Amino acid sequence: MKLVVSGVGKDYLIPVIDSVSFHAEAGDFVCLLGPNGCGKTTLLRIVGGLEPATRGAVLLDEQPVVAGDAHSRRVGVVFQEDRLLPWMTLEQNVALVLRPLGLAAPDRHAVARRYLRLAGLGGFETYHPGRVSGGMRQRAAIARALAIEPDVLLMDEPFGALDAQNRRIMQNEVRRIWEETGRTILFVTHSIEEAVAVGTVLVMLSARPARVRALIRNDVREARARLIDELNTMIMEEVERQQGGTSA
Amino acid sequence: MRRERDWADRLHLPTLAALLVVLGAWALLSWRYGAYVLPSPLSVVAGLVEIVRSGEVWTHTGASLYRILVGFGAALAVALLMGLTGFLSGLARGVVHDTLAVLNSTSVFVWIVISIIWFGLSNWAPIFTTFMITLPVVASNVVEGVENVDRRLLEMGDVYRLTGGQKFVAIVVPSTVPYLVAGMKVGFGLALKVSVVAEIFGVTSGIGYIMNYSREILATQMVFVWALVMIVVMMLVDKLVFDAVSRRLARWR
Repeated sequence: MKLVVSGVGKDYLIPVIDSVSFHAEAGDFVCLLGPNGCGKTTLLRIVGGLEPATRGAVLLDEQPVVAGDAHSRRVGVVFQEDRLLPWMTLEQNVALVLRPLGLAAPDRHAVARRYLRLAGLGGFETYHPGRVSGGMRQRAAIARALAIEPDVLLMDEPFGALDAQNRRIMQNEVRRIWEETGRTILFVTHSIEEAVAVGTVLVMLSARPARVRALIRNDVREARARLIDELNTMIMEEVERQQGGTSA
Repeated sequence: MRRERDWADRLHLPTLAALLVVLGAWALLSWRYGAYVLPSPLSVVAGLVEIVRSGEVWTHTGASLYRILVGFGAALAVALLMGLTGFLSGLARGVVHDTLAVLNSTSVFVWIVISIIWFGLSNWAPIFTTFMITLPVVASNVVEGVENVDRRLLEMGDVYRLTGGQKFVAIVVPSTVPYLVAGMKVGFGLALKVSVVAEIFGVTSGIGYIMNYSREILATQMVFVWALVMIVVMMLVDKLVFDAVSRRLARWR
């Protein structure tokens, strides 16, 4: 599904997002980068319809996203935390979000099992979240987001709480799932390496109030090292600007 | 070696030892002050055997438990309604909160006197008293549970477009149940203690009535016997009902 973010801005007490515009074609893997506190999560929540924008509009296949509206598009969200229900098994957790789609119970559970297997959790369907590792919980949350076959998949630093090893495993996992399912993905991260490893479109945001500092297509896997260097320089400049801004 | 320790723990050996000391002191004091003030342990055991043999124990315990179950059951139903109201409306939540604060600060005796005025010398007096005393305990817990539902889980429900009913069943109810069970446990203990006090006035059955009656006919050992019955009932309900429920609830942890 085509995603258009056009002039989106958000003010709380101070302007958080000045104006951000970018677009992604169906099947793009968009990575949102930027210094901490620049409004990446807020932008993702606006795209997901969890919060209204102060300015601008988000369009999914030409249809505007309105916060709190029961829209017809399917949006899957993977939060920073897994947000699984601890009293349900992994399978029940995934099957739960299929209820509003009107599937019969046996179908819901069949779909849930299929996506848990896809996320490498075959054999753990009847486990409760408290009984599996953090990495597995996050994978179950990803399976849940994918199970509704979302038009757009939003991921907010989904691997932030994981250690380096699990992080690498999950990056490969998400990349593989994305290649297999061809969803449009919007992925918030503060790791440049992660963005370059998994993204097809990289959106570098500036310090607060956020604007788009650079929009980079990452289709051709050219000189990755140089790109990482370039982006590292950018983020350090923005971090300095943000810190200068806060102390002033 | 390990096995022995397990058995020692299970039998509460130190508690049993303490019990023996208390029984010894009790027997001595009883001998010193006489059976009217402090009946001997043996006469209490004899009394217990007697009421079990005559079936009296079931009549009065049954009458008390019936009143508790009606009063406590009604309190539970109203508490759940209050919790639901609190979930649906923030405005109502404030009213519920303040109401519970007032009820919590009201003495048992107020309800006993009022219930005698309203319901006279009938079953309804202890039932009403039990209801009014346990309601704030159970309801406060339920309301607190509803308020402590993880907002992030509810937001997850919104993202996946679960209906209000689906969110209620899948998210609100399971996260409130532990609070409810804790409230019920405390509430039931309170119900037993309060209803027997209310039974002193106006009814002709129940543990509270028979204890007061035993005092009047100077059968002090029966006062001790019925106190013992009350303790056993409380401990049995705690072990058999609430411990089992708690274990079941903790399965997913």
